[in-house]
Amino acid sequence: MITIKINNTAIQVEEGTSVMKAAQQMGIDVPNMCWHDELEHFTSCMLCLVKDSSRGKLFPSCSVKAAEGMEVITDDEEIKEARQTALELLLSEHVGDCEAPCQLGCPAHMNIPLMNRLIAAGKFSESLEVVKRDIALPAVLGRICPAPCEGACHRRTVDESVSICLLKRFVGDEGNAPEIIPAISTGHKVAVIGAGPAGLAAAYYLQLKGVQVTLFDKAEKAGGQLRTEISRELLPLDVLDAEIDLILKSGVDFKGGKAIDQEAFDQMTMDYNAVVVAAGTFDGDTNRFNLKGTAKGIEADRSTYRTSAENVFAIGNSLRTSKLAIRSLGQGKEVASSVWQFLNGKPVMGERRMFNSRFGRLVKEEFSEYLKESVVANRNHPESGGRNGFTAEEAIAEAKRCLRCDCRAIDDCKLRIYSDSYNADQRRFKTSERRKITKLDNHSSIIYEPQKCIKCGICVRLTEKDQEKFGFTYIGRGFDIEVGVPFNGELESALTDTAIKVAKGCPTGAIELKEK
Amino acid sequence: MNQKFQNIDRIIEENGTSKKSLIPLLQAIQNEYNYLPEEALKYLSEQTSISPSEIISVASFYKQFRMQPAGKHLVKICVGTACHVKGAGLVYDSFRRHFKLPSDNDTDDSKTYTLEKVSCLGCCTLAPVVQVDDITYGHVAPDQVDQVIEDFESQQNKKEAKKYRKADGSEIKGEIRIGLGSCCVASGSGEIEREVESVVNQNNLRVKLKHVGCVGMCHQVPLVEIVPNEGEPTLYAKVKPEDVRNIVESHFQPPGVFAKLKNKILHFAEDIQTDRNWDGVQRYEISMREKPVASFLGNQVPIATEYRGIINPIDINEYIKRGGFTAIKKMFSELTPDEVVAEVKNSGIRGRGGAGFPTGVKWEFVKKEKSETKYLICNGDEGDPGAFMDRMLLESYPYRVIEGMIIAAYATEIHHGYFYIRAEYPLAVKRIRKALEICRENNFLGKNIQGSGFDLELTIYEGAGAFVCGEETALIASIEGSRGFPRIRPPFPAQSGLWGNPTLVNNTETLAQISYIIREGADKFNGIGTLGNTGTKVFALAGKVARGGLIEVPMGITIREVVEVIGGGIANGRKFKAVQIGGPSGGCIPAEYANTPINYESLSEMGAMMGSGGLVVLDDTDCMVDMARFFLSFTQDESCGKCTFCRVGTKRMLDILDNITTGKGKPEDLKELEKLAEWTGKGSLCGLGKTAPNPILSTLKYFRDEYEAHINGVCPTGKCMEMITYSVNDECIGCTKCVQKCPVDAIPFTPHEKHSIDTELCIKCDACRAVCPVDAIDVK
Repeated sequence: MITIKINNTAIQVEEGTSVMKAAQQMGIDVPNMCWHDELEHFTSCMLCLVKDSSRGKLFPSCSVKAAEGMEVITDDEEIKEARQTALELLLSEHVGDCEAPCQLGCPAHMNIPLMNRLIAAGKFSESLEVVKRDIALPAVLGRICPAPCEGACHRRTVDESVSICLLKRFVGDEGNAPEIIPAISTGHKVAVIGAGPAGLAAAYYLQLKGVQVTLFDKAEKAGGQLRTEISRELLPLDVLDAEIDLILKSGVDFKGGKAIDQEAFDQMTMDYNAVVVAAGTFDGDTNRFNLKGTAKGIEADRSTYRTSAENVFAIGNSLRTSKLAIRSLGQGKEVASSVWQFLNGKPVMGERRMFNSRFGRLVKEEFSEYLKESVVANRNHPESGGRNGFTAEEAIAEAKRCLRCDCRAIDDCKLRIYSDSYNADQRRFKTSERRKITKLDNHSSIIYEPQKCIKCGICVRLTEKDQEKFGFTYIGRGFDIEVGVPFNGELESALTDTAIKVAKGCPTGAIELKEK
Repeated sequence: MNQKFQNIDRIIEENGTSKKSLIPLLQAIQNEYNYLPEEALKYLSEQTSISPSEIISVASFYKQFRMQPAGKHLVKICVGTACHVKGAGLVYDSFRRHFKLPSDNDTDDSKTYTLEKVSCLGCCTLAPVVQVDDITYGHVAPDQVDQVIEDFESQQNKKEAKKYRKADGSEIKGEIRIGLGSCCVASGSGEIEREVESVVNQNNLRVKLKHVGCVGMCHQVPLVEIVPNEGEPTLYAKVKPEDVRNIVESHFQPPGVFAKLKNKILHFAEDIQTDRNWDGVQRYEISMREKPVASFLGNQVPIATEYRGIINPIDINEYIKRGGFTAIKKMFSELTPDEVVAEVKNSGIRGRGGAGFPTGVKWEFVKKEKSETKYLICNGDEGDPGAFMDRMLLESYPYRVIEGMIIAAYATEIHHGYFYIRAEYPLAVKRIRKALEICRENNFLGKNIQGSGFDLELTIYEGAGAFVCGEETALIASIEGSRGFPRIRPPFPAQSGLWGNPTLVNNTETLAQISYIIREGADKFNGIGTLGNTGTKVFALAGKVARGGLIEVPMGITIREVVEVIGGGIANGRKFKAVQIGGPSGGCIPAEYANTPINYESLSEMGAMMGSGGLVVLDDTDCMVDMARFFLSFTQDESCGKCTFCRVGTKRMLDILDNITTGKGKPEDLKELEKLAEWTGKGSLCGLGKTAPNPILSTLKYFRDEYEAHINGVCPTGKCMEMITYSVNDECIGCTKCVQKCPVDAIPFTPHEKHSIDTELCIKCDACRAVCPVDAIDVK
């Protein structure tokens, strides 16, 4: 056994243990990407750098064995900067989107590509379930949203954007709303003032978390401006009522016809654990419940929506007037997280957005690559015309036009996870033109996107170890090094028995299972 | 099918079927087909135990290998440091234009010529240099490309193409320099010059006459220096007019006797470094050359280059006659391996490959390893663009290096060794191969060497072109038949090297100094140089000095002494600006620090490095940002791509420098460049990446104002093409010379009128400026 000190704590490890493994044994997270448990160390990504505290020098901990008396630091500022810089260098040559641009463009960050895929597969109710994770009123929004998502859609560069908004409307109309399983009550009580899109969304998501919500509105019926400002032709009442009903059915206690004055508000802040103000635009200098304000409305933290009062949050037009209902809906969803954190005595952070790699606009040479996972077809329009929605066939056809821009590794990509935790800035080393994206999909179970590769060599080493006849190999060297199949062979012949293992071993989304 | 691959069957038979034979196999296949045909490689994988991925991995890693057929003739443009500072980039562009090459192809449409950039052809004194097949053209100007190709083609049907030629087709064999410093003139060098001219004209010699300024040897005037195309110059001091004919004729044969003396001259052309056949000159030297230039000019001390210019490289008897192999005789009879190690430790010698690790300590590590099998490797994978001392040592002193290897092997109990030599050094490979053969015949190698009971076998391994293979772990990977990826140390090769066995890797120059240490004793060696930096170091002195070439100087000599005394100062009356020491791992030291002594520590402190021993002198016309970019583009190109910091870090630094040198720099770039340089240095896996930022950091440190000027849109020296424009000033006499030279018709034909340049059309090839007789072309 060998004794070493990591972050000033001694640990005994077996001889031959790497410093990284020793640290992990102590529960210290040492980031790594080129390490694979079945393989020898390789020392490529350099994320696992730690410091020899006696000499002050950094070294890659995956490849150095613990030696008696060694003293190591794993997390000082210099090490953090090293890892952040390594990540930023890797990101500078990592050409790919984590979340699809449509999802980034959507103020509610709805998982549009997944919605599309489920529609394309005829799974309309599953699709609706996905939509409702972020958008509480899909059928309504499907009729009135100006669809910023479609402006961001990569397909728009190729020909015309995917008709996302109508697809959402379609699942809102045709999907069976997910059954609401009442969460176990937490005993917390929250008042939401205003039953417009923001208030409805806040009430819905809080209620789903097991919070008892009382939703107040000065009008008799919930809906706010959705009910008063939008033409019936555009948004028929039965559609609006049906979706509001679904929200109220989740257990929200709706109290209509109750305008809240200062006195009532003050009482509320005492009767309820928290109050969410979603009362719409405050006219002129009308009282803002004695909360700190701005020229435009109530002042609240941009990411948590918390106001100057500890247990009061504000969203929607009460912050500033906007005609974008989807923004209010998104804020309603997000504030639920802040309130939830507050109720549970956790630091109020709001709904944290993960790091997202982005590469910008598609270029011409890439159209055909992206179309490999899509269909060549013009944008579909509802045949019945006018304000009508898609038929099921039309919806499926349109959903298939989605280019699948979101990354398959979105949940388990180490590059994304570490970039997030080390605050990496992908634009830092945007010093020259990016590479052109290619997608290799001629394999029954995996897809390979070389421009996402970080050259860690795990796939090369795995195929070599498992003696694939062709396998993967390094081609070229230096910055232009690539991982590919020898003799430009087919992917199918390169990865036979190892395909799944290789896809799972890839630390980024470069090699992924197609089914993902 | 079988018919088609017959040759490959033969190649496999000759080289073996296991992975360690992969590089030799690929070299042989390329030799056969001029590239690596895919079919051949597939067949190779079927017939051997080597997998397709291993084959492609290796074939695509090394520069030597081509996956596409090359043209019939190979045009190599040297872009080494010395050639770079003398405008090789413009020459390269000019060749591309000549062959009308698109950006993604290096072979012309007719498949006759393939253009290739090479790092250093080792003819720095002829810079810029172009090699077409085996004919070398020196001092090539960008507007001489047509002539070079024309001349090359005119040589094709001749039996004996002359190997060194000027671009206009005349053969040049060298240069005769006549000192024209004030002392020289006073001592009568004018008379000497007339005599030289008369001898040259009478014999119709193709040599260049050149006047040089004062070389600081005023007590020896008048001076005549003979500079052959390759190899070292010879300086004659206190020359009298009646000596001139003897001196000149001993170096240069008149063309008329060429055929008669064919063999002799071929010998000369091939073996220029030291094979000169000095009929009668020996005697002449004694009276004329008080001492050879080496020993009194700036205190050079030949150890690795002992008897330079005197001994025939492969004549073992001559080597023995001049004290060769006395070290091993002494060793075998008097010294135990431990005593040899102790002696080397006492000598204080440190690795001449650049990092300066004490050689004796390294030997001790290997000696300690109790393993049945251990290996010794002579690292001759020199790749610095502008350093060729290893090549020179291997070519000129093969026995001295072999003797060093025998001593190292004996001391560390090794019985098998490799010479790792770049395939780009065919003559070195040939010489060592021959020398090894002769050593075996004379029992200096093989079993029971000289009756000592000690056995040693040495073999040659030809590197395939990867700078990173100078790093010992990458070099070992290369011998094992893999791509040259370095790996982390520890374990050091001394513990686990070649095929997991303890391995001693020493640089060629280090090994070339070992026999001296054993023969003369550690104390004699450590009496040279300074404490902690003992002995001598060989440098390739090039750039803007009056006299470039290989020099061997004691450690601790100052930069000034090297530049001014040995190098003869700056040529053409320009101002000494800086020296670049250590090549791509080194840095630039400005002229005001010229008193810095050359040793491992002081160079590091200054931000440079001993590195591989390139020493390039820069004058006030050199752009320091361009120099940093030059070296970085080299390391970036040579990065193996294994670790993040080197693979991407060098690329991003180069991007930033590209932006700065093309007028797209932003003020915040400098800070980012510094930061990135710091991290590339700290985070890279091997020495290549760790030292790659040095050229940037040192120039940022000493010449930050030049970077700032670029960011403000001005390249102060007018070197950065994108930042300059050509224009005609009022000196113009309307002679139309520039009009005729302009390759893109950017100068309208207006005889007797002031010319003008259409900057839209101008490609900044510099042809007009070079040809203008009245300095009427402005570059701003």
